[in-house]
Amino acid sequence: MIELCELSGDLGEFRLSNINLEVQDGEYLVLLGPTGAGKTVLIEYIVGIYKQDKGRILVNGQDITPLYTEERNIAYVPQDYALFPNLTVEKNIAFGLEARRMPQDQTKKIVSGIIAKLGLEHLSHRMPLNLSGGEKQRVALGRALATEPKFVLLDEPLSALDENLRTTMARELRALQQESRATFIHVCHNFEEASDVADRIAIMHEGELVQVGTLDEVKAGPKNEFVARFLKTGNIFNASSDGSTVSYNGTRFHHTATGFIGDVMMAVRPENIRIRTEANGEDVNTVRGRVTRVISKPHFKEINVDIGIPLVVYSITNGFDAGDEVHVHIPPEHIIVLKRGV
Amino acid sequence: MSGEKSSAIAPAETYKMAALRAGDRTIFRSFFYSFAGFLFLYAAYLFLSNVDQLFVTEAAIKTREITAWGDDREIMNMFAGGFWKDINFWKSLNLTLIITVITTIISTVIGIPTAYALSRYRIPGKSIIEVLFSSVIVIPASSVGLCLIVMFNYGPFWDLQQKLGFRFAHSIFPGMIIASFVLSFALGLSAWKATFESINPRFEHVARSLGSSRWRAFRTVTLPMAKSGLIAGIILAWTRAMAEFGAVLFFCGTFSELPSSRFSALERALHVDQADWLSVSVWSQIEYGNVEYGFALAFMLVLIGGLSVYVMHRIGAKGYIW
Repeated sequence: MIELCELSGDLGEFRLSNINLEVQDGEYLVLLGPTGAGKTVLIEYIVGIYKQDKGRILVNGQDITPLYTEERNIAYVPQDYALFPNLTVEKNIAFGLEARRMPQDQTKKIVSGIIAKLGLEHLSHRMPLNLSGGEKQRVALGRALATEPKFVLLDEPLSALDENLRTTMARELRALQQESRATFIHVCHNFEEASDVADRIAIMHEGELVQVGTLDEVKAGPKNEFVARFLKTGNIFNASSDGSTVSYNGTRFHHTATGFIGDVMMAVRPENIRIRTEANGEDVNTVRGRVTRVISKPHFKEINVDIGIPLVVYSITNGFDAGDEVHVHIPPEHIIVLKRGV
Repeated sequence: MSGEKSSAIAPAETYKMAALRAGDRTIFRSFFYSFAGFLFLYAAYLFLSNVDQLFVTEAAIKTREITAWGDDREIMNMFAGGFWKDINFWKSLNLTLIITVITTIISTVIGIPTAYALSRYRIPGKSIIEVLFSSVIVIPASSVGLCLIVMFNYGPFWDLQQKLGFRFAHSIFPGMIIASFVLSFALGLSAWKATFESINPRFEHVARSLGSSRWRAFRTVTLPMAKSGLIAGIILAWTRAMAEFGAVLFFCGTFSELPSSRFSALERALHVDQADWLSVSVWSQIEYGNVEYGFALAFMLVLIGGLSVYVMHRIGAKGYIW
């Protein structure tokens, strides 16, 4: 288990303030946040490239803060992979084993096992310079996993790949993690990439850890407007709440969130809104509206509906056109209520 | 539509542009090579046209009178000729080679770790060190020589010399090493620092995260990547030491006129006594009126320098000086 306790550090350009995080053994955690949030810096602190100003990093209860990078036993795959250009693919993968002075025949066996597992047989004697993005990524992973580390930190491992390859590689990453039972911490700024691999996500913003939880938990209950917007919640409005209902522009919706009275923000994820041409007896939170635009996305339709508020709805049903009169139902449990201005 | 249109036109346009660029390159190359060829031929002409002078052997070379240029053609011709038969030439070459090799070794041993530290760590006063050594490169070497005189002939260094019982200024050991070291070190340092700065420290971070010690990471990852740059720096440090003139002249002066007793046993054993630094010798020979002799020595230096730079280009370390 990795525990970060009140970790703070200032590198001038980037700063981290008071990071508290626990990552369980065998967990796949994704550090998610926009560029400049401090995600890379955080994992560089964990690897030991920088020394933090304050706080501790515990690995299985032991404080690793005074240890050098080479003593921490945490594998690290940087964003550009940093494959050693002077060594062949095979030698790159063997690097960690050789550093640990493993006998040659054993090293060879492990390396050929990894090469076979990652499908790199035809590349084993090539130099890294001539590899494609996906191949480089595989070699970097192989190099990190060769020493069978308990902890693997990946800095934007998929950002250099094209979109189709990214999904495939994300699945592969997840499978590798399951097989090795190592704890993975994966940095990315892409919500979709995170959803492909993560057990839990940790959202960072301006050097602070904002929220940690499973993707569903965070989607259903974003802690503030930043998280809601970052997770593409959509349909965010200033509203006022009396405790059980929120109203905006005279339209009133029931909600199940508690503890919010007065000026609030309401948000609804577009995929949680139901849209029908006929009324369906769902009186609560059902309003009439008019379709203003229908955009065809790869897997669904994005329907813009005017109900007095411009609303975005995702639907897999065809048959809606601009100008159609529709009934829109927002289930009370899917209305997210947030404090304003936090 | 527009996409198709542009893709239909693009290749032709691209070829045209490429052809233009290739044309530019050809013109530039032919201009460059003809200019370089002209320079070389001119230098060779100057050398060869004076070869007959160099073969005059009966001259009494040992007469050390200072004669102004062209005062007396007779004397000039008398001094000229057969520089390789002159023991002083071999002593000069010997002295210069010994000192430059020692200087280069010292520059390398101090410079490479310094350059690495400057490129990798936050060091207090880093910018002062950098400005100091880069300014040494751009100020006249004679000023460096004068600074060395002031530094070593006054204050704590003077007291130290009094205690040790020998002088730094106007000495072969360690005076010439100090004088040739300053610029050699500064130039080497700039090349080594540029080399290390061009290598992303992330390679070392990854190597260390895989269990390599700091030293092993440096040896197995950074050093192979830095190899050609480091060798280029060593060659630069060596050629700069050899080309040193102002600092050596001001700090050490000439030695050929001094009595043998003035030199230590070590200096006599190494055959560097009564010998002048090669580039200083060029100057003094011309001052004596031995223009051809001076020219011949200068040509030697040109050859050594040219060869060194050629070696640098061969090892793929272009761009450190030109």
